Amino acid sequence: MLERTGVPTKENIESVTPLKERLSKGPVAIIECFQEIPCNPCYTSCKKGAIKELIDINDRPILDPEKCNGCGVCISNCPGLAIFVVDESYSETEALVKIPYEFVPLPKEGSFVTGLDREGKPVCRAKVEKVLNTKAQDRTPVVSLIVPKEFSMTVRFLSLNDHYSDNTIVCRCEEITLGEIREYIRRGYQSLEEIKRISRAGMGPCQGRTCSQLIMQELAAATGKRLSEIKMSAFRPPAVPIKLGQLLGGDDHE
Amino acid sequence: MIHTEIAIVGGGPAGLCAAIKAAESGAKVIVLDRNSQLGGQLIKQTHMFFGSQKQYASHRGIDIANILISKLEDYKDKITVMLDATVIGLYEDRVLTVDQGGKYIKIKPDTLIIATGASEKFQAFPNNDLPGIYGAGAVQTLMNVYGVAPGESVFMVGAGNIGLIVSYQLMQAGIKVKGVICRGPKFGGYAVHASKLRRLGVPVMPSHKVVYAHGKDKLERITLIKLDENKKEIPGTEFDIEVDVLCIATGLTPLAELLWQMGCEMKYISELSGHVPLRDKNLMTSLDGIYVAGDVAGIEEASSAMVEGSLAGLCAAKAAGHIHPDFEALVADCHKQLYDLRSGPEGEAIRKGLSKAELKEVGL
Repeated sequence: MLERTGVPTKENIESVTPLKERLSKGPVAIIECFQEIPCNPCYTSCKKGAIKELIDINDRPILDPEKCNGCGVCISNCPGLAIFVVDESYSETEALVKIPYEFVPLPKEGSFVTGLDREGKPVCRAKVEKVLNTKAQDRTPVVSLIVPKEFSMTVRFLSLNDHYSDNTIVCRCEEITLGEIREYIRRGYQSLEEIKRISRAGMGPCQGRTCSQLIMQELAAATGKRLSEIKMSAFRPPAVPIKLGQLLGGDDHE
Repeated sequence: MIHTEIAIVGGGPAGLCAAIKAAESGAKVIVLDRNSQLGGQLIKQTHMFFGSQKQYASHRGIDIANILISKLEDYKDKITVMLDATVIGLYEDRVLTVDQGGKYIKIKPDTLIIATGASEKFQAFPNNDLPGIYGAGAVQTLMNVYGVAPGESVFMVGAGNIGLIVSYQLMQAGIKVKGVICRGPKFGGYAVHASKLRRLGVPVMPSHKVVYAHGKDKLERITLIKLDENKKEIPGTEFDIEVDVLCIATGLTPLAELLWQMGCEMKYISELSGHVPLRDKNLMTSLDGIYVAGDVAGIEEASSAMVEGSLAGLCAAKAAGHIHPDFEALVADCHKQLYDLRSGPEGEAIRKGLSKAELKEVGL
């Protein structure tokens, strides 16, 4: 239980999880504050009146998910760093989780990090959508993570450790990371040709000599197909980059 | 001998709030602090405080210190601050003796507010004097005031709010915290602080204690043992952890020697973490005109220390002949704030302790 482990129980979390319909509608605060302590900045900071008035300062905060618009002002105001915002409307398969993050260095927007659960265990890869660090956050920056939807109520912290090697460059010419390739595969790009066209991987000076095999392996791993079943992309001349002028001059025999 | 209407010993959250309210009431005040800057423990606190807006909730301790110090500046003509000034004696004729940089100074105040705070409780285990074994306050001073890392990997003894918060701050500073232990089966600090640490992957381990520290010239390793539900050692459950820092955060005790020197009526109250002065509801001790505020009156949070400071400041000023224009309302508000801060389940021990420390026969 919470007072022995420091980790909220399943029942604790269920008691503050909004209904599925509300979660799917858009961003909403999740207040993981399960102990009666004398504290009320969440209530005083909420502009929407979504947190019920704490008549006794020791009362636990109660959120009205219908009034909450997920603005996230309460996140940086909570001295216990116990408030998160979850947005399951982010995409068909992904959710956005906003977490308070008081560490340096801050993650870079667009980079891949590891999503951690309430015990600090790695659970999934996450992409940093946004890092909010203005005067309003007052040194408690808010990091928005894109995570697979099934982890929206699990991911509550992040590690800059590249647990899943997502920041590893696979296409050196175009600087495309493994994480980006995986993201395209998740979004439904299922062949080397499609990935090449959407990401430009394989369109650089080396023409895919480094990345093609690696991308095929990722495709195979993600789709459960054998490498022999993965279709190669089209090969067209020139095999290596040449200057436009070389073409202009034409062949000696012409 | 220097004469003043009010002397305040201690420039932490309680002393600063007392000085502001006393000066606001019109009294001449001297604030004495043994450190070279005001703020007490606030200046080490990089985390946001709990409470309500009136106690600066959501603000970091260091910011609260700056807010209070800048308020003090508004009363420059009323308040004299003496830094690096250690009160070494307090006599029955109410003369304070002070050591300031080798100078011996005597101060005679009309009324007095003691806001000396607390000292840390230590632990007795073999080799507890090895370099690398610190109190939590020292770790915070090194890290948050001087920017010095106490070591590379730390083990924390004590899982009250201080142990949990300092562990988090160590992690913020990039120092690995290998674990936090406490003797009881449940940790004493707020659950949200423990949850913050758990998310970082730091183990919080109730029912453990340190039995041995190992190392030649400095700490290298500690031996822990598991305890049962009654805090009894379970033989054969010892295990070692390699660390170069052991941080002791097993509680505070009121720093009350000046009150003893004067002859205030004192009582040991375990819920308040040690010997505390008996006091009336406006924080006057058994001696007329001698007030207390903050941890010296019983270990609590900085939020209540600030409110107690304001209350003692208002009442000591009144005793010195300066009644604040809003005296009644402000005193009532202080009582209300203290009631609110202590009224929850986490305030139960404090309420019990305070009921034992009440001095009923002495009124305002």
